[in-house]
Amino acid sequence: MRIDSSHRKWLIASVVILAVSTGIYIPYAAESPHGPSGASALGLTFGTAGFAFMIFAGLLGARKKVPVWRVGRAQAWMRGHLWLGILSLPLILFHGGFRFGGPLTATLMVLLIIVVLSGIFGAVLQHYVPNVMTSEVPLETIFEQIGHVRGQLLEEADGFVEDVTAPNGPLVVAAAARASATTTEELPAVSEKDVAPLQQFYVREMRPFLQNSGSRSHALRDTAKSIAIFAALRTVLPPEVHQTVRDLEEICEEERQLRRQSRLHHMLHDWLLLHVPLSLALLLLGAIHAVMALRY
Amino acid sequence: MSRAQRTTKSVAKRIDLSYFKRPHPLRTWRFVLSILAPAAGLVWLASYGVARNDYVYSSGKMSPAHAVLAQKCFTCHVSRAASFRESALDRACLSCHDGPIHHSNQTFTPTCASCHVEHRGQLRLASTAEESCTQCHANLDTAGAPTSYARHISAFGAGHPEFAALRPGFSDPGTIKLNHAVHLKAGLKGPHGEPVQLDCEDCHRANQENQSWPYSIAPGSPAGETPKTVAGAVASVSSVNILPPSMNPARAYMGPIFYSRQCAGCHPLLFDKRFAESVPHDKPEVVHIYIEERFRTYIAAHPEELREPVLRIALPTKPVPVSPRIYKTPGEWVDAKVEDAELLLWEKTCKQCHTVLKTNSGLPQIAESRITPRWFQHAMFDHSRHRLVNCESCHTRSRTSQNTSDVLLPGIRICEQCHHAGATGAESRCFECHTYHNWRIQKEVTSHFRLADLVHEDKQGASQQDGSSGAAK
Repeated sequence: MRIDSSHRKWLIASVVILAVSTGIYIPYAAESPHGPSGASALGLTFGTAGFAFMIFAGLLGARKKVPVWRVGRAQAWMRGHLWLGILSLPLILFHGGFRFGGPLTATLMVLLIIVVLSGIFGAVLQHYVPNVMTSEVPLETIFEQIGHVRGQLLEEADGFVEDVTAPNGPLVVAAAARASATTTEELPAVSEKDVAPLQQFYVREMRPFLQNSGSRSHALRDTAKSIAIFAALRTVLPPEVHQTVRDLEEICEEERQLRRQSRLHHMLHDWLLLHVPLSLALLLLGAIHAVMALRY
Repeated sequence: MSRAQRTTKSVAKRIDLSYFKRPHPLRTWRFVLSILAPAAGLVWLASYGVARNDYVYSSGKMSPAHAVLAQKCFTCHVSRAASFRESALDRACLSCHDGPIHHSNQTFTPTCASCHVEHRGQLRLASTAEESCTQCHANLDTAGAPTSYARHISAFGAGHPEFAALRPGFSDPGTIKLNHAVHLKAGLKGPHGEPVQLDCEDCHRANQENQSWPYSIAPGSPAGETPKTVAGAVASVSSVNILPPSMNPARAYMGPIFYSRQCAGCHPLLFDKRFAESVPHDKPEVVHIYIEERFRTYIAAHPEELREPVLRIALPTKPVPVSPRIYKTPGEWVDAKVEDAELLLWEKTCKQCHTVLKTNSGLPQIAESRITPRWFQHAMFDHSRHRLVNCESCHTRSRTSQNTSDVLLPGIRICEQCHHAGATGAESRCFECHTYHNWRIQKEVTSHFRLADLVHEDKQGASQQDGSSGAAK
């Protein structure tokens, strides 16, 4: 989700809530005989508000699970998740008077800080990475299809190379026919010897690259190097197979883009592996803390 | 077919339409971790629950005094029948501590926990907030008769009155004639006639044993009596000597002045030129017996002095005899010498410092010295903790004071120079000098806890089942 002008209201509301809360907290902390406490009326108010914001932020997951609920647009929920989630951190800090307290409350504070920071990190990524994806991965496909498409690219490349290098391939057969003068038709004709460099390149360099079995510093992973390699390849191959070389070069480019898409996709979503589980733990332990705090 | 000839349709055909039926690794991991993380939290809490240890729910570190109770919540948090709440009630505190009330005419008694706030870390519980006191003293209201104390004190620097001893109309009740200005002059004659410069520490020191006093007299002399006061008794407690200065309560207050320790070196109580020693610094009756005995012993050893004419001591109140006198008996000689010696003592030597009152019995009466051992009756002060500054920084009038009635106690403004609010000020909250509880009426409390209850793994479960707590038993 991009953080654009549609967030302005949420931003203003959040800043106002934070300013008001800070304005209340500072004199409260300064005048409290024993310092601010979560058990005081204001401390409880801050705690309740902060926890309510956390619960609202946590409900985004439920909202996504049931998209047909008529409880506001998902975009609005997302903005609320972002801004109220961030606001929950200062409110909870005000609740505890910037003290981490005992084992449970300290754990909750650490969890909250991790969840909020990971959320902010994710929001920043989701603001910038989609643009990068659009500009750098024009051949983007469905993420779940990347493995399937890469397999097809390998098959496709195998086919192209087979066409020009196999003993019974069309180019080699045409060359043999012209040699025996059985036909006068103008067919592209190359010998096995002519396409040997292509075959060698494919077997040694390109296929391992497509199979993802080459080294991590494989030359074809780099666009500039790849262009140079294919340009050099053309110089040692007859013009009849240049179209095949171009196809192979395109396949390499698509492979590179799919890899980049996969990387960007992980960047966009992997932080959720931290954010979501810890959020759930935070909500559960937070509820237990609320109950036990009322007891003691 | 070359890739250049590919159509959108051919590209679309590459898509596997059943991809959504396969589990996505990212979503799978997210789901698994979303189960595991809260479950780990529950297991963590459950481990405390199994051990019947509620420490995990503690709101913060315990004070050092109660640190051993950190995992024994039940010692302070008292459960009540049919109630979910387990508050820290006064009765839990009072099961180990007595908390005598402040004043009998106070209008309300705060709860223990409202002043002594626990779970705030490594703090002294006695270091209560100023508001704990000013909630009453900022606008003091009392039950019954109006109070004579200041009624509007909101801080040490706001409304606290001048110390009582320094208020107008008050003077030092002491009767010892002491002129500080004279004693601190340069060039005074010392015990052996040499010039000396007295300093405050020559006479005023905290209660401590085994000190050498520069102007005392040698032990064994009749004037070198042992201090008999309570302060002296405190100083003689041998355990005090093993304490570091910061923990030695005897260093808090200046010790009382004793003639034998502070005065005797320069002010000997000589009574006759025949004797080098002083009379005991004691009541006139004791002095009289001592002198009589000394003369009787002397004349027995020197009978020739009965016949030796001796001029009587010339004093302004007695005329110089025209002719020498010869004593007929030793008793007559002793009576005459005792009379002369006592005339010297009562009319000159003792009077230099004491108020000597005439009586009909023949022997005078020495007025009670009435030296004030402690000026602050409602506050505490520790000289030891103020040794950073020299005496005259606070006792500013000591070098110029000429009268016994001068109270040389530093005023509140001097204290406020250091003790004020703010980051650069020394502690200025009420507890620094005052205590809330009236410890004069404290009662001994016998705790019911056994060591095993506090240091071993929790065993309170059984005792908690019936809704009672250890503290409430």
